[in-house]
Amino acid sequence: MTTLPPPPDAHPSEAGQGRTPPTETTGDPDAVHPSGALDQRAVSAVEAKTPATRKQKRSGSPSAMADIWNRYKRNKLAVIGLVAVAVILLMAIFQPLITPYDPFEQNLYNTTAPPDGDHILGTDVLGRDMFSALVYGARLAMVVGIGTMLMSAIVGVSFGALAGYRKGLADTLTMRFTDILLAFPLLVGAILVVRIFGQGVLPVAIALVVFGWPTSARLMRGQTLALRESEYVEAARSIGASDTRIVIRHILPNAIAPVVVYAFTSVGVVIVAMAALSFLGVGVPADVPEWGRLISQSYSFIRVPGSEHLWLAPAIAIVITTLAFAFVADGLRDALDPKLRGGN
Amino acid sequence: MGKFILRRIGQAALVVLAATLLVFLGTFALGDPFASTGDRQVSPAVAEQNRAIFGLDKPLPVQYLTYVGNLATGNLGVEYDQRRPVADMLIEVLPNTARLAIVAIIIDILIGVIAGIIAAVKRYSFVDVLVTVTSTIAIGVPTFVLAVIFLAYLSGWGPFPVVPRPFGSEVPWYQEVLLPAFTLAIVDAAFVARLMRGSMLEVLRADYIRTARAKGLSERTVIGKHALRNSIIPVVTYVGVSLGGLLGGALITETIFQYNGVGYLLYRAIGGNNVPIIAAVVIFAVLAFVLLSLIVDILYAFLDPRIRLE
Amino acid sequence: MPDLTKSHEDVLADTDVTPAERVLEVRDLRVHFDTPAGIVKAVDGVNWHVDAGETLAIVGESGSGKSVSAMTILGLVPSPPATFPSGEVRLHGRSLLDLPESQQRKLRGNDIAMIFQDPLTALNPVFRVGDQIAEMVRVHQKVSKAAANKKAIDLLAEVGIPNPNTRARQYPHEFSGGMRQRAMIAMALANDPKVLLADEPTTALDVTVQAQIMLLLEELQQRRNTAIVLITHDLGLVASHADRIAVMYAGRIVETGTTDEIFAAPRHAYTYGLLSSLARMDHARPAKLEPIPGQPPSLSRVPAGCAFHPRCAFATDACTAEIPELLPMAPGSGHLHACIHPGSVAEALAAPKEVAPSAERSATTGKAPVVEVTDLVKHFPIR
Repeated sequence: MTTLPPPPDAHPSEAGQGRTPPTETTGDPDAVHPSGALDQRAVSAVEAKTPATRKQKRSGSPSAMADIWNRYKRNKLAVIGLVAVAVILLMAIFQPLITPYDPFEQNLYNTTAPPDGDHILGTDVLGRDMFSALVYGARLAMVVGIGTMLMSAIVGVSFGALAGYRKGLADTLTMRFTDILLAFPLLVGAILVVRIFGQGVLPVAIALVVFGWPTSARLMRGQTLALRESEYVEAARSIGASDTRIVIRHILPNAIAPVVVYAFTSVGVVIVAMAALSFLGVGVPADVPEWGRLISQSYSFIRVPGSEHLWLAPAIAIVITTLAFAFVADGLRDALDPKLRGGN
Repeated sequence: MGKFILRRIGQAALVVLAATLLVFLGTFALGDPFASTGDRQVSPAVAEQNRAIFGLDKPLPVQYLTYVGNLATGNLGVEYDQRRPVADMLIEVLPNTARLAIVAIIIDILIGVIAGIIAAVKRYSFVDVLVTVTSTIAIGVPTFVLAVIFLAYLSGWGPFPVVPRPFGSEVPWYQEVLLPAFTLAIVDAAFVARLMRGSMLEVLRADYIRTARAKGLSERTVIGKHALRNSIIPVVTYVGVSLGGLLGGALITETIFQYNGVGYLLYRAIGGNNVPIIAAVVIFAVLAFVLLSLIVDILYAFLDPRIRLE
Repeated sequence: MPDLTKSHEDVLADTDVTPAERVLEVRDLRVHFDTPAGIVKAVDGVNWHVDAGETLAIVGESGSGKSVSAMTILGLVPSPPATFPSGEVRLHGRSLLDLPESQQRKLRGNDIAMIFQDPLTALNPVFRVGDQIAEMVRVHQKVSKAAANKKAIDLLAEVGIPNPNTRARQYPHEFSGGMRQRAMIAMALANDPKVLLADEPTTALDVTVQAQIMLLLEELQQRRNTAIVLITHDLGLVASHADRIAVMYAGRIVETGTTDEIFAAPRHAYTYGLLSSLARMDHARPAKLEPIPGQPPSLSRVPAGCAFHPRCAFATDACTAEIPELLPMAPGSGHLHACIHPGSVAEALAAPKEVAPSAERSATTGKAPVVEVTDLVKHFPIR
């Protein structure tokens, strides 16, 4: 199998639902290093860190964490993203306390009302308070998004580490399996799964995990393949460490960075996918105020002036959430990337 | 090199075959098409008869083999609604999707690659900031949201035709394809621009660029020949995979614009639980994607000689 | 103001007063970088020269500014963030720094060529080696593609690469490390440059290959009378291959002279420190290695006065007062140093050294071996 960069999720055309922002360097505009043809060694003299003063750190140890946080802080967008994610999470957690109305409560006498004193964001097509519906949507997005992300990551990392470390048959089988899953159009595959298991939040999550773990697995496999040739792995093997111990204690902490970065990006992908599924009518049930559902329900009001809030509000919610997680992922990537640590 | 290609073809065939199996099994999970459903009341005897006609009473492995055999000979079965041959329906809408995919990719490449290169070469310039900001925002905008917005405000404006197409009006294909192609291309171009910019930035830091400059080459040659050849590789991969996806039919975009392509066909089939069409489209989409991935892999090996050793 | 209508030969023909064999001369060069960490004085008042057919070694630790001075000569240091507060670079007497970019480009790869440290990353991985060399030729000479390709093959043969015809059509990753560096040298010499700047050319290579490459450079130098500037931190390399040495520390030259002068009679404390940290194979009872304590300073915060004084065993208060000038040891001598305590250095040099402890241990201890290996064989299948 050629060593291609991890492919973006199958069928990026599917309305962005299956898309992964490629794991590329965006070139941090705040980078301390002058770019260009400058001699790297001359530049290394710029950094004040000298080898003698750098403490020996294991990744995961407290001072390594502090290091990562310091680097993370440098990226303003990433900090904004983190704040936004925190706000959304809090909204999701405290939703019952925040929402002035019950998000499910429909009032068919007062539908599509523009924002006013009673309803800060107006009401939607079914008379639900838009603001409450949005907050509930945030809760749904967080639960499904983060839940799916965690499950995909766990499954993906396990398979990826197995494939990368054991190589041979385990590797080939895993790779072929992920090939097949990745070749499936994400949306269609998810639709099929939901059709089979029926509508509801859980089938949607399952569908997204089924088609989401292959990318994490690919990433982990690539990292494991590279790292298993490292000298410290060789050293651990030479003192008799078991395979499991080597993978968990030595390879995992060092391999995990791109997987974590992708995991955060994938939350946005999952949220968009779920919204797309609901938009199509396949996803959460019709009475659940999910962002994508809200948009599809306002489809016929698209060009009616005065009803922009119907689709604009959930659309903005989706965009902000996706961006927030993407920023955090970007920030994490820069913070975890040893090449940007400066010095030699 | 030849061995490499053969191996990749073998892998691709395997994947497509596995996909047919999954789809085949999946069609059963979608339920018995001949049982009574809502407004279709069927007596059990008639249902049994229909099943026999469609060969659904034979044992599973036999059905699967028949299925694969049919696929190979281009027989995609007949759909449930009006017994039209699925193959004909697919061929009818395929050219539309192909046109859409190609136009979208062209716009994609033009905007994305050029913007990415300029942004990387003239760092911190206006173009760079513009590209970075817009591409960042565009990532967060799902295509279906953009499609909805475009539908709302761009339909009938400028070169874009009115959607939905008024009954009886004829719109030439190059006009009709514009709005959906633009929608698909804009968001993807944002990714391409970011990827191109990042890749170019990384390549510009490389030692061999320093060597190229030390040779006395003009900056245009350094960037246009040495840097571009290296930095375009991941972009080619990405665009190729994108094209593969588009050829399988952009489900949501086509639906929103009521563009008569493979995606729209699929959407209507899903609504009516028209399994043969769903199955055929899915397999076709997988085939298109796998084929394009194969081409991309081979292209990659051409572009990057280091890969050929594998 | 340089006349842009002149051909580059005419540009170089306008020589100055300096002697014609003085191929490259650097005078009072300063290169400062504007960074968020402050002003980095990568090169801070540097003087050196190299004549035709001779090899000047610029020696210093990482971050001493040696590479930057070489890159400046080629005009490859981007001007923001770099500034050049002072300095002149003269090629055959003609000033380089104020030449417009188009003229500088004509000289790059033509009169001045450079080879870099890591030949794998320095060669473009997606182009064939022969094509890259041919490109070098075609940039500066009006020859056909076929002629350039032929020249490339000839060059590969000249640097000792067997089967140059086949090799020219291969890619860099198909070459071994030593061969790649030979290919880089071939490329650098394609247009018969007057000066070859070699930035750590052997650091990335095995020791045996290092020797081959240096030998190759010597042969080529003799044949073409090229001036070579060898930038390195490896004193051993310098001892066997350089005619003259310039020792750099923290962006300044602290001592310069012929190889013999420097090795036999170093007069700057830093040079002395460098030599003492060298393991010497030629001593019957090797002296104990004395590493220099501490670390080189950050170039954004260079210590006042003599930059070396915080790590110097002979430092006095006078050393912090002002930057010592680079002065000849004796009037008219080519051996210059910038130390105000050359006497202390000379004393330390002459004093008897502590013998290395390992030299006193005997070969056997009389006890049973811990590990014994007999007739060990290990084969690796080549696929």
